[in-house]
Amino acid sequence: MRAPDGPPVTSGDVLLSIDNVSLSFGGVKAISGVSFDIRKGEIRAIIGPNGAGKTSMLNIINGFYHPQQGIITFKGEARSKMRPHDAADGGIARTFQNVALFRGMSALDNIMAGRTLKMKRNMFWQMLRIGPALAEEVEHRHRVEEIIDFLKIQEIRRTPVSRLPYGLQKRVELGRALAMEPELLLLDEPMAGMNIEEKEDMSRFILDVNEHYGTTIALIEHDMGVVMDLSDRVVVLDHGIKIADGTPQEVKSNQAVIDAYLGVAH
Amino acid sequence: MIIAFGQFLEVLVSGLLAGVLYSLVALGFVLIFKASGVFNFAQGAMVLLAGLALVRSLDFLVANGLPFWAAIIAALLFAALIMAITAFLVERFVLGPLINQDGLTLFMSTIGVTFIIEGGAQMLFGSDVYPLRLFPSDAWFLFEGSFPGGLLVSKIDVWGGMIAAVLVVGLAVFFQQTKTGRALRAVADDHAAAQSVGISLNWIWFIVWLVAGLVALVAATVWGTKLGVQFSIVFLALKALPVLIIGGFTSVPGAIVGGLIVGAGEKLAEAYLGPFIGGGIEYWFAYVLALVVLMARPQGLFGERIIERI
Ligand SMILES: Nc1ncnc2c1ncn2[C@@H]1O[C@H](COP(=O)(O)OP(=O)(O)OP(=O)(O)O)[C@@H](O)[C@H]1O
Ligand SMILES: [Mg+2]
Repeated sequence: MRAPDGPPVTSGDVLLSIDNVSLSFGGVKAISGVSFDIRKGEIRAIIGPNGAGKTSMLNIINGFYHPQQGIITFKGEARSKMRPHDAADGGIARTFQNVALFRGMSALDNIMAGRTLKMKRNMFWQMLRIGPALAEEVEHRHRVEEIIDFLKIQEIRRTPVSRLPYGLQKRVELGRALAMEPELLLLDEPMAGMNIEEKEDMSRFILDVNEHYGTTIALIEHDMGVVMDLSDRVVVLDHGIKIADGTPQEVKSNQAVIDAYLGVAH
Repeated sequence: MIIAFGQFLEVLVSGLLAGVLYSLVALGFVLIFKASGVFNFAQGAMVLLAGLALVRSLDFLVANGLPFWAAIIAALLFAALIMAITAFLVERFVLGPLINQDGLTLFMSTIGVTFIIEGGAQMLFGSDVYPLRLFPSDAWFLFEGSFPGGLLVSKIDVWGGMIAAVLVVGLAVFFQQTKTGRALRAVADDHAAAQSVGISLNWIWFIVWLVAGLVALVAATVWGTKLGVQFSIVFLALKALPVLIIGGFTSVPGAIVGGLIVGAGEKLAEAYLGPFIGGGIEYWFAYVLALVVLMARPQGLFGERIIERI
């Protein structure tokens, strides 16, 4: 289900489009008829009150959930029932709202796991650590070390992640997603539970990834200041329905958004 | 005094080497349990299937004039192929469709798989006792200078120990060095995160069942040489349960050490306590030991502490 090797998507074109998507769990409607798109190279924020359906939307994009209705088009190809590892193969990486790291591994190994799809060498060569497999391992280690430097986590790279404080765990998780060299990076509340300083660092990393690597980013975040600073466009969900879509300025002054956040009855 | 010590050593060594078999079966359980959270009741049946496929194809090839060494290689490959097919079918038709079901459902499904494998194996390959002669079945007498009569050590047990050691080292290298090994550890830690980096759960489950099948094949070669390949092999799997409780369900070293403890423990208990309480200790010793461990350390000697979140 790899996207076709057609003409490359250039900056500003639509990379992903969500068309009239609905998802329900039994009786609960998590998402109802939502449409929006993500353009190549932008930082697209998805915001909304608790339970609005933001995480469900990310889960749809990377194939954990399959919507009952609607069309998802990624890199010009409409897809149905894509499984998460196919999405990863197509260039979609993500982090999770409640940090999902490989708890038994070091920070380095976690990030190395992000290279899984990039490693092509035969298992027997890998076991012996010789020939092309060794060269490949070295090359991947090199890429991973770059990411570790970029995220400024050199000191903790050998530490088992379960022993790291929450803020650093989130950073390692970002590193693992970056190691995939994704075209589309999905971040589910990357700054939740962080102090101001940690938030500033994380904001910096997100902007750098976007600017230097040209990675398109979909960002869920509750902190409005962060959203205003980072994002190019914002889509607002409430109770599974899209209530606004536009630049941070437009969204901020939108009456429906203000009502949703103040909890005005519908 | 010297005689008593010699006897003790002899019992201990034979117990440890017999324990290797328990370790091997328990190892198969642990691999599948770690990667998929499935308690695989069929592990014993897989040992039977591997053993039957091996011994029957070996007999067939030898009867048709193949030199013994070539027949052994071909028969091992054939048995490995059978285990691969089994892994594929189980993943495709049982566990794949049951993805995201709870542990009890999956456990029940492996009970079903057990009966199908047991029935299928005997239907395809026969249900007699088939002697297997891969290793010499006589014994060494060691340290005859230090102990009167020397220490009796059976060659099969030593072969079994060596093969198990090679297998364990091979598995360790596989887990540490290869992409697939790393992917297996990733899946064992977090299914969703593993999928998000591009690991296919179906593929990993096939791989673990295949590896567990190959471990079963190794267990079958040793067990089959000792007692002949026969249906009672499946009861070996029942011994693996106390081994797992002692070692911990999620620990590879735990499976190995647990097997050795049970093997040595039951032989020693039989030799030294047996005369006082009438023998037959071998049959229940492991379970009592498991019960004691369960009360003192519910997660097993090597298992991770299970902390319930509230
Ligand atoms: N796996 C699931 N099974 C059942 N209901 C679910 C599931 N996932 C989400 N929901 C429901 O769907 C709705 C949307 O949840 P979702 O997690 O997408 O919200 P969210 O916008 O991410 O909220 P938050 O800001 O709290 O993270 C909620 O009512 C939630 O209970
Ligand atoms: Mg959420």
